[in-house]
Amino acid sequence: MSEPIGTSVPPRRPATPPIAVSATTTEVNKTGAWKYIRPVYHDRVAPCNQGCPAGVDVEGYMALLREGKIDEAAELLALEHPMPAVTGRVCNHPCESGCNRGHFDGAVAIHAVERMLGDRLLAAAPPAPAAPTRTERVAVVGSGPAGLACAYHLAAMGYPVDVLEREDRAGGMLRQGIPEYRLPRDVLDAQIRRIEASGVTIHTGVQVTEATLPEIRSRYSVIFFATGAYLGRLLGVEGEELPGVWQGLDFLRRVNAGLRPPLGERVAVIGGGNTAMDCARTALRLGARPIVVYRRTRDEMPAIAEEIEDAWREGVEFVFLAAPTAFRTADGLLSGVACARMKLADAGPDGRRRPVATGESLFVQADTVLLATGEDPELEPWPEEVVRGGAVAIDEWGETASPLVFAGGDVSGDERTVARALGAGKRAAIGIDRALRRRAGVATPDTSALRWGPTGAPSVARWRDADPVLRVAPLNEVVPFEDVNTAHFQLRPRNADRHAALDAAGAPFAEVNGGLGDDVALVEAGRCFNCGVCNECELCLIFCGDVAISHSHDGGRFDIDMNFCKGCGVCAAECPRGAISMTREGL
Amino acid sequence: MSQIVIKDRIPERELMTSGHLACPGCGGALAMRLVLKAMGPQTVVVLPACCWSIIAGPFPQSSLRVPLYHTAFETGAAVASGVRAALDMRGETETKVMVWAGDGGTFDIGLQALSGAAERGEDFLYFCYDNEAYMNTGVQRSSATPWGAWTTTTPVEQPQSTAKKDMLAIMAAHRIAYAATASVGYPVDLIEKVQKAMAMRGTRFIHILAPCPPGWKFADEQSIELARLAVESRVFPLVEVEDGDRWTLTPAEAATDADAALAKYIGAQGRFRHLKPEQVEQIRRNVDERWQRMEKQASLSD
Ligand SMILES: Cc1cc2nc3c(=O)[nH]c(=O)nc-3n(C[C@H](O)[C@H](O)[C@H](O)COP(=O)(O)OP(=O)(O)OC[C@H]3O[C@@H](n4cnc5c(N)ncnc54)[C@H](O)[C@@H]3O)c2cc1C
Ligand SMILES: Cc1ncc(C[n+]2csc(CCOP(=O)(O)OP(=O)(O)O)c2C)c(N)n1
Ligand code: SF4
Ligand code: SF4
Ligand code: SF4
Ligand code: SF4
Ligand SMILES: [Mg+2]
Repeated sequence: MSEPIGTSVPPRRPATPPIAVSATTTEVNKTGAWKYIRPVYHDRVAPCNQGCPAGVDVEGYMALLREGKIDEAAELLALEHPMPAVTGRVCNHPCESGCNRGHFDGAVAIHAVERMLGDRLLAAAPPAPAAPTRTERVAVVGSGPAGLACAYHLAAMGYPVDVLEREDRAGGMLRQGIPEYRLPRDVLDAQIRRIEASGVTIHTGVQVTEATLPEIRSRYSVIFFATGAYLGRLLGVEGEELPGVWQGLDFLRRVNAGLRPPLGERVAVIGGGNTAMDCARTALRLGARPIVVYRRTRDEMPAIAEEIEDAWREGVEFVFLAAPTAFRTADGLLSGVACARMKLADAGPDGRRRPVATGESLFVQADTVLLATGEDPELEPWPEEVVRGGAVAIDEWGETASPLVFAGGDVSGDERTVARALGAGKRAAIGIDRALRRRAGVATPDTSALRWGPTGAPSVARWRDADPVLRVAPLNEVVPFEDVNTAHFQLRPRNADRHAALDAAGAPFAEVNGGLGDDVALVEAGRCFNCGVCNECELCLIFCGDVAISHSHDGGRFDIDMNFCKGCGVCAAECPRGAISMTREGL
Repeated sequence: MSQIVIKDRIPERELMTSGHLACPGCGGALAMRLVLKAMGPQTVVVLPACCWSIIAGPFPQSSLRVPLYHTAFETGAAVASGVRAALDMRGETETKVMVWAGDGGTFDIGLQALSGAAERGEDFLYFCYDNEAYMNTGVQRSSATPWGAWTTTTPVEQPQSTAKKDMLAIMAAHRIAYAATASVGYPVDLIEKVQKAMAMRGTRFIHILAPCPPGWKFADEQSIELARLAVESRVFPLVEVEDGDRWTLTPAEAATDADAALAKYIGAQGRFRHLKPEQVEQIRRNVDERWQRMEKQASLSD
């Protein structure tokens, strides 16, 4: 036989091996070319930050708390806010109204977390005072929240600041209006001491008048007026001048100064705002039976919701849809309030439903009447060009028509809350710094990027270029709830503040709201979604089916390899907090 | 903490590469990536014809950093049996063998080979990534296609008229050590199931729902959301069956409204758009019935 078939033929090299073996990875395919839209990491603004009138980085400190960095969280809060222990107790907290978690299982109790941090700051050693680096001196008239905020932020910027206060104690309405059972005086005192420690000098017993103003203007480069609103309004009805008909604010100031004016048994409180609630609850604590007379209904009451609830719980009575028409006497003593019975008509220009008379009337018996229908500012010491139409006119940064004269808080037409006053003080501090730096011929940062979101209060840390929070390609837009992926969160209902029952006999002025306590406050902070700012949860990286996302090597958090990202959008959809945006730009 | 943080529970290693040829948002691509994170580098993948034959890249490419053996449509379990035997003969007993097959290659044409292997107790993991139709060849129906769904072979005039085959029960009936369902919407659960299965011997079966944007007709970015909704709606419950009779339903992470999830699940997919309300209601009843059956099975196992 011849040789077996094949042995004489030279072995043939097959074009492909019998089993095809891969020689490369698929990374040779630049599949990123398929995309028509691409993801970008953009940190955005949480709605709570935009909602806080004092311009606090709520999301930022919640994120630090989540990592267990309590002291850093407290410092971040203190950077933007001089008195968190106060607002943690009395703020109307509009931050919470906008909280995205409200659409899930209840807004985060931001006020209670703030209170915990505020108390922690008070318990810690006072900060070292900022060394003055500026030569221009600033006078702040009024030591309420607006004045103290302005002074605090200016001191942090290196300005020597003197606060001039006519009363013998600082604090403004926090001391004179808000009662102790809502804001204990040791807390207020400690908070003011901490502000002083940061480099602010407060001179009490100094009333600024038209006569003393020129001298003050000559000694200081800038004046900030934050003199509040202390003139109680009158109703303009018969009998208003009777003994026994008092201004509610005067009553509160006396009680807050330690006096106990005799009220008789029945006290009618006229009005539906914070002053009215405080008058009623204070009267209750002095042993009287208060009844609140309000011309609209509970839903329209301007007082903070919690205060209304507390008043209700403590047993304050309410008469709604009743408008006083006359105060009456019997046997020479006040006997009560004649009222017109009202009903609600359509909404007026302010959006609230207007009360209109029904023609019926009613009578509310009272030994004392407390008027609490609003306060107006005293405009006496003011340069003429500053006052327009009964209010102080200011621009966005607190400057009046008179150069280097600034104003803010209750004295301007602002909404009457502590947080708004704090925001006004902060805006003025930025405005003053800007004006003084311009005068000195120094370039100033752009103010258009300071606000939290399009409508929020400014961040003074941003103005000072001292924001410690890493923000990647930040966009100044607010994260809507739709951009929060709730699939990655567990239901955890909001924790409620602890309330003590009124101990009328024992300690009637003891603090009612006990907050959450440290541990629960931290749990509450853990409920925060951290809207808009990446916390490196890595879900984007985990869910990318194209392995296009990796940890960053150049200072950011993550890199997306555009050679391979197909633009599916899964990362953006899965991001729990809306920190990734999809865009067609650059493609 | 209210966010469910998972990063520490997902192995970091990447055994799949970018540049693969899956569609944007493909649930099957992510499923492979996650499974390989759990399987590790000492793994041989057997791949019968399916979308993944394309995703892995044309010769001479591979999108896997482990050996990948392309094979014929119906042969996944048979080839894996052979690869296993060959490895054992070479003494490579530590190397793991896995099949990665589509629903067509599992429920339909590969069922015979799979049943035979399971009956023999062949030692490998079998993964079925289920996109509920023959996607690679252009969306033809399979026996995994759900009732009422559109495919090119079940057009809207005559949508899928049979119920999805109960593959898990079929595998449980083989009394294999481990059979489970998993989902790309729940990566930790998926990885833990793979790890649990790896610690066992014999034939192990894991059925992974893998949303397919072009085949189901939904927006690419909704892929993971749909995977989650399938579980929340109980359309695709997460279950484990050990030794053929110990059924365990994976507890839900959050209390969710199954009916609302079902409405969202169906509403998001073009393949269900033609359904009338009474047909959706029919689906709801079927889902409910099957869920109750499973609950009963699970309660018998307690
Ligand atoms: C009874 C009551 C309860 C309230 N409760 C709340 C609440 O719970 N939450 C909330 O957010 N807001 C509340 N408010 C509103 C809030 O207190 C004020 O909006 C806020 O204090 C305004 O701050 P301000 O700094 O502008 O003025 P103020 O706090 O009024 O401070 C002004 C200061 O200027 C001083 N001053 C005035 N004129 C002169 C002068 N010529 N020379 C020197 N010093 C002068 C005053 O003595 C005072 O200390 C309440 C108000 C009242 C009246
Ligand atoms: C015997 C045989 N018939 C038909 C085909 C063509 N074919 C390749 S993949 C495929 C469909 C695979 O469907 P499935 O297993 O569900 O995987 P998918 O593509 O959906 O991921 C078909 C029919 C084939 N390769 N072999
Ligand atoms: S969840 Fe957190 S970050 Fe988001 S709005 Fe509420 S408090 Fe702010
Ligand atoms: S998930 Fe991956 S592929 Fe999809 S858009 Fe994000 S980075 Fe790109
Ligand atoms: S998914 Fe997590 S890691 Fe990725 S951007 Fe969002 S927050 Fe950051
Ligand atoms: S057709 Fe579906 S399963 Fe196939 S690659 Fe595309 S998305 Fe994935
Ligand atoms: Mg398929």
